[in-house]
Amino acid sequence: MPEPLISQATIYRAVQTAIGEALQIPEEKVTPDRSLIKDLGVESLDLIDINFRLEQDFNIVMPRKYLLDHVEELFGEGTAIDDQDRLTGAAVTIWNARLGSTGTAVHAGMSIEAVPAVHSPRTLVMVVEEILVREPRTCPAWRKSAWTVADERFITCGQCGARAPLSTGDDVIRQWLEDFRARGGLTSHTP
Amino acid sequence: MGPCRGRVALVTGSSRGLGRVIARTLSEAGADLIINYRQAGGRSETQARALAKELVERGSRAVAIQADIGQKDAVAAMFQQIGAEFGRLDILVLNAARAPFKKAGELLKRDLLELVETNYLGNVYCLQQALPLMQGRPGHVVFISSLGSRFALPSYPLGSMKAAMESLVKQWATELGDRQITVNGVTVGLLKTDSLMVLRQYWPGVERLPASAFVDLEDVAGVVLFLCSDAARSIRGQNLVVDNGLSNELLHAVPSS
Repeated sequence: MPEPLISQATIYRAVQTAIGEALQIPEEKVTPDRSLIKDLGVESLDLIDINFRLEQDFNIVMPRKYLLDHVEELFGEGTAIDDQDRLTGAAVTIWNARLGSTGTAVHAGMSIEAVPAVHSPRTLVMVVEEILVREPRTCPAWRKSAWTVADERFITCGQCGARAPLSTGDDVIRQWLEDFRARGGLTSHTP
Repeated sequence: MGPCRGRVALVTGSSRGLGRVIARTLSEAGADLIINYRQAGGRSETQARALAKELVERGSRAVAIQADIGQKDAVAAMFQQIGAEFGRLDILVLNAARAPFKKAGELLKRDLLELVETNYLGNVYCLQQALPLMQGRPGHVVFISSLGSRFALPSYPLGSMKAAMESLVKQWATELGDRQITVNGVTVGLLKTDSLMVLRQYWPGVERLPASAFVDLEDVAGVVLFLCSDAARSIRGQNLVVDNGLSNELLHAVPSS
């Protein structure tokens, strides 16, 4: 894979700052694997604030919906969360394939209520990174590829200076799930 | 010597945003305050406790109580504590709200349950539990609604619950009128609170609307205070729109992004 235009370190620093400013806590307290909810005290409105800051930082659109919500929208209600509000085997398979590398762990039978607490700054970094590595192949105006980075944060056309039209966070998740299904990632859960 | 001196008030969901300003306003008017918040261990708890401490330092009685109003048992426990500590309740402000921001077609069963539990059932649980503590004295119930009860807003299923509650306001006002308990709603326009962060995700550009499109939190709290005063005792079952005039105009010039 080619070198990403915006490095993971840059994204991580932005995530640290966004969390620190949203919660009004020192940035040093924000370390990669702390639970946003359990360790840092993030609540749902704070998460929206953090997401908004990251959107401004990188000119992106963060996901509006959680991974497991997307799973149920795409594959049917009940596929990820059973009628007792517990994670299904399919949910765990998908979660591990997608977020396993961020060190977050879920298990079948876990209550949906407990899921948000497994998210960490590292998960946010991954979400931002995934959006940023999907810049279109060519600038829609110039039909050429000349992406460069302005102000260390914004993927911009080197020819015309336009900001790159990037996929939204929800599009990225949906596309990932479609690909996962297409390559047979869910076959063990299909009767 | 404010108009609420000697009265006990509960404002649900008052750790942040509008609820916080209403709680502070009622306290400044002399009321003893119960600050309610949903989630233990997070920022709401920190902020609720800080507010209670601030009100106590200014000479009022105030406590912060954690309870998810959507859980009947939690509401019962909260009112048990209110009964034990204050022995009465005079003012109930139903402000707490919580909702998924999704289009109707995307709402999963658990989204719908959450919507109804917090924003409808939770308010009913609170009123049911409050009534014994409001026995024998005039009292005031104010429900905080929003323009979403009357107008479609993007990805705002909460509006339908607000509409249901505005209807209940009339029902309750009728049922409780003989007990001299007034029940009214305040239908709020756009506010610059945490909820604006949510709205701007689904309604891009809302934060760039002119200042006149927004209503001050203090102005809303002032109307709530009025509805909780003796001067408003003949206002029954009304939903007052407090929106700085936003809903008077059908067409608004929306600034381009």
